[in-house]
Amino acid sequence: MHAPTQAALVTGCALALGACKPSAKSDAAPSASASAQRGTAQSPWLIGMSQCNLGEPWRVQMNQDVKLAAEKHPNLKVVFKDAQNDSLRQRAQVEELVAQKIDLLIISPKEAAPLTQPVAEAHRKKIPVIVLDRGVQGDEFTTFIGADNVKIGREAGKWAVKALGGKGLIVELEGLMTSTPGQDRHKGFREGLELEKHPDLKVVFEADMQWLEPNARKEMESALTTQKKIDLVYAHNDPGAHGAYLAAKAASRDKEMKLIGIDALPHEGVEYVKQGILDATFLYPTGGVEAIDTALDLLAGKSVPKKVVLGTRAFTKDNVSLGGEAIP
Amino acid sequence: MKALAWLRTSSGRALVPLAVVILIGCLFHQNGAFFEWSTHRALLREISVLGILACGMTLVIVTGGIDLSVGSVMAVAAVLVSLMTMPLGWGGLSATALVLMAGTALGLASGALIARFRVQPFIVTLAMMVFARGLAKLLSGGKKVTNYVTLPDGSSSTVDLPALFRAIDSKVLGDHVSVVTLIFAGCALVTWVVLARLTAGRYLYAVGGSYEAARLSGVPVGRTVLLSYALSGAFAAIAGICQAAQETHGDPETGAGYELDAIAMVVLGGTSLSGGRGGVGLTLVGALTLGMLQKILSLNAFSTEARLMLTGGILVFAVLFQRPWQSRA
Repeated sequence: MHAPTQAALVTGCALALGACKPSAKSDAAPSASASAQRGTAQSPWLIGMSQCNLGEPWRVQMNQDVKLAAEKHPNLKVVFKDAQNDSLRQRAQVEELVAQKIDLLIISPKEAAPLTQPVAEAHRKKIPVIVLDRGVQGDEFTTFIGADNVKIGREAGKWAVKALGGKGLIVELEGLMTSTPGQDRHKGFREGLELEKHPDLKVVFEADMQWLEPNARKEMESALTTQKKIDLVYAHNDPGAHGAYLAAKAASRDKEMKLIGIDALPHEGVEYVKQGILDATFLYPTGGVEAIDTALDLLAGKSVPKKVVLGTRAFTKDNVSLGGEAIP
Repeated sequence: MKALAWLRTSSGRALVPLAVVILIGCLFHQNGAFFEWSTHRALLREISVLGILACGMTLVIVTGGIDLSVGSVMAVAAVLVSLMTMPLGWGGLSATALVLMAGTALGLASGALIARFRVQPFIVTLAMMVFARGLAKLLSGGKKVTNYVTLPDGSSSTVDLPALFRAIDSKVLGDHVSVVTLIFAGCALVTWVVLARLTAGRYLYAVGGSYEAARLSGVPVGRTVLLSYALSGAFAAIAGICQAAQETHGDPETGAGYELDAIAMVVLGGTSLSGGRGGVGLTLVGALTLGMLQKILSLNAFSTEARLMLTGGILVFAVLFQRPWQSRA
């Protein structure tokens, strides 16, 4: 199968996949030999979903996306496990799921190294493994689905240049800079700004707010005190941008600047844009829906690409009511 | 040495680290930003929530106990007040009353286990910390409780921010003071009255000084311990309401790690972790010292690495500074 066809299948809508369901019954699926009747409404496919930490709203959203997508298919049943941000607990939970005889594993690992081994063992037992958002080492898994933080940061940077007309003073509120997403969203943003091409564009204040809204508000207050003029604030997540907004509003300076964030959760960033609090937010997709689509393909015995990089969506006040604008 | 006699008082010793931090601020004033009132107004707002927790923590630490659950209890309060005022549309007063009762109840539960079964406060409040975090997540469904509410018919809409939230997150006295700072001051005043003016306060010190001696001299030790944790829970509830108001939502993850900052504020002031000695005035100085240091580091946009190391350094300096004088007193 050619790569483009595969990609089209992966991103294909649930309807198209619904048409695949009959074949899921007839085709020789990975563990069909063990239980010939699996994959029907009476005896649904059992999917194990191993989540590394439900303490983050984005991951709560990921689980919900998986749950809602799976509910559309009566031949799927998903068991959820939350490792509470502990790699060893997640390792144990993957082993429990395998012992439970799941037909497919979806895992969003906390860290690559400690989870490579349990994932590889599941894969060797012919259980298809979909790795979501963060990777594992080696190639003993079936497919990886994730987004690209550098790319999303770059889109935010390009948007900033356009919104400012190529000149202005920028504040960057960074996520935890020892974390890869923080580094990538910073790197991408700076690439998107192309500071060497825009001499009148300056980042005048940057601070690490560690993804936390109260910290972002504090740092923004410092920025407001030391900077007499701010044209745009870029926060590495929407809560950070919201914290910046609250600080600017308290100083009656919120009209002076544009605010952009990342993540675009439906009840958070997108809602902030709707309310006019943020000027733009960029989706960091959870991949939950795509994971279920891919799971249906795999269970139907189809092959899927080894790696799928998800695109982003920009939500601004002009397009938010239309569901944002896709950036592939 | 006579000229330095004031250094032997606990408040004198607490003021030195603060003076050092102020000096650092004057040196690294960032184009005069450190000398502007708005900077200090912001700093006073930033320490308020932690300071309110530190007030309750002072009461507990004076009895020789510790309350690790304040950050989580605060999250329960933040979620509850947001739930009641936004999706359920309660008035501010009734919501505040109910949240205060909930916080007090959680504190009472910890206190009862400690007083009745004599389990170590560290363990009991550690358990409460985990339990209350779970409760906050359960109540909120794992998501922030915002003014974006789902109506009974399944559609969603945005409701106005409750008047309670807008009132707490505003400034008064010609925009010179944040309301949360006044709430913090009120909490400190209540703590001071309890510790310095009420019989209950003498009992708190007595229990912290020596539990057995206090019991034998007829102090109602059980009720005294209960009181300290109940008040700590109530203060955590107030802190949670202030946090929710400032964030404009109830975040079930809020307050994680705040217990340690609150303890640091208390200890930095000079209240003894072994109980029996200290006071809320010292905690105020401790809170100001930590808050001002954070503000200076933030104004100068220091890197996170430098910030953490400098904060640790100042803490060690303050604690070491208190030692020799304490042994002589």
